[in-house]
Amino acid sequence: MSVVVEGLTKTYGRRHALDGLSFTAGTGVTGLLGPNGAGKTTLIRLLATVLAPDRGTMRLLGRDPATERQAIRRRLGYVPQEPGYHRGFTVFEFVDYVAILKEMADRRTRHDEVRRVIDEVGLADVSGRRIRALSGGMRRRIGIAQALLGDPELVLLDEPTAGLDSEQRLRFRDLIARAGEGRTVILSTHQIEDVAALCAKVVVLKDGGSVFEGTPKELRGLAEGRTWVGGRKEGPLCRHTGEGVFRTLGDPPPGARPAEPTVEDGYLLLLHEAAPAATR
Amino acid sequence: MTWHMDDGLATRYADGDLDATLASSVEAHLLACAPCRELLTPRVPRARLDRVWEEIAEAVDSPVPGPFERALRLVGVREHTARLLGAASSLRLSWISAGALALLFAVLAAGETTRWGLVGFLALAPMLPVAGVGVAYGRGADPAYEIGLAAPYPAVKVMLMRAAAVLATSALPALVIGLAVFGRSWAVAAWLLPALALTSLSLVLSRWFEPAHCALAVSALWLACVAGTNLGEPSLAMFGAAGQLASLAVTVVSCALLAARGKKAS
Repeated sequence: MSVVVEGLTKTYGRRHALDGLSFTAGTGVTGLLGPNGAGKTTLIRLLATVLAPDRGTMRLLGRDPATERQAIRRRLGYVPQEPGYHRGFTVFEFVDYVAILKEMADRRTRHDEVRRVIDEVGLADVSGRRIRALSGGMRRRIGIAQALLGDPELVLLDEPTAGLDSEQRLRFRDLIARAGEGRTVILSTHQIEDVAALCAKVVVLKDGGSVFEGTPKELRGLAEGRTWVGGRKEGPLCRHTGEGVFRTLGDPPPGARPAEPTVEDGYLLLLHEAAPAATR
Repeated sequence: MTWHMDDGLATRYADGDLDATLASSVEAHLLACAPCRELLTPRVPRARLDRVWEEIAEAVDSPVPGPFERALRLVGVREHTARLLGAASSLRLSWISAGALALLFAVLAAGETTRWGLVGFLALAPMLPVAGVGVAYGRGADPAYEIGLAAPYPAVKVMLMRAAAVLATSALPALVIGLAVFGRSWAVAAWLLPALALTSLSLVLSRWFEPAHCALAVSALWLACVAGTNLGEPSLAMFGAAGQLASLAVTVVSCALLAARGKKAS
């Protein structure tokens, strides 16, 4: 396993961002799902060795980040939640700048690698354009390009599709799927469709802990026989899905018929049942 | 079009055996003639084409260094180090010249060669490097800061290299302004140790706080100290032997703490 996390705890003041979290991830794309404040970004930053945990252990690529941080960083690609760019730089200049931070000192070899990753994310045509002149989707692709420098074995993506339109998100799925071939990708996201389409494994976080670890199919299975479609709004887990059509999770409302569950149904049901009774 | 290439001409062109005039003529013709291009293509070695293409891509893509980066390269700084330094906003020509001009105008406004003018100069000059260091590194100053934190290149090293470069680039104009306005006097250089002390203290504090905030706090503290010794009449007490010794002590302790931090990070 490329990522092994046990009993991870991180506290900010009195708030537990992570509270005894454990999970593992291997080759392929592993999705991190969870509501806002569940601890996804804190976890990604810990895995990126940007933060140190208060308690717990991590093994990343077989190494301990407490003692072998540099060795891990040499095999790591990271796209933060809000990747910043030197907006006056061209695409090439920015990726080249990150390549230097990744210790690629030889100019010719480094430039070849920069061209390779820019080409891989489909930005070769705008390589010489200033970042300030690019769309949000293109900037997100620059984020992926810099993360792929040096062909890292572990890639961490913190909400890479946030703020993208549907078409751009579909393109990103291709990109992330390709990035997940032969390496470990940890994808933190709110987009359940992305997890369903991309991930071999999914970890659901809530209040700093893991409430589910399995495949998207298993997550969907949680709503098997508990998903209903009817004409009436009934219960707390009922949502409007069309004109006069309501989708209900849990106990069947009167007159409703069973429906095929989705990964989102399983996720919503899981979060609802993991919540303290008083907040349901 | 009055002619086309034959096999012999194509082979000689591909081998580079044509004189410059004939080669230019062939190239002008090739631009407009698809059959001749097809004739030439199999005669050009693939490896040579790849090499030429790589050289073109390198020439087109390579970042164009700014004036500061070029100056660094001229004095022997390696290309990738110059790139890392040149990315800091306070190491751009606009910042360096703006800082120097602000200092010059402040001194002129304070009465040039009067004692108040000298106190004003000595109080403001150390703040140039402190401000420069404050915006050279950190979450607020470097857009790629978070990405850099997860990269193997030591973040402390980037911070210290930029701080050293900022010190050098702000000290030079301040010394020139001092000499130009006040003439040759020990007092013109009396701000150097305080500048080192304030900058190193600011760097130490950046371990816990945003560097720009550290620079602001350290500058405010410095100005308060200078103002406190100049309540009635202009005084150079902060720049005398005792002041210099205090600055030296702060510098030494701060540098020791920074060295320990650098060692721990590496």
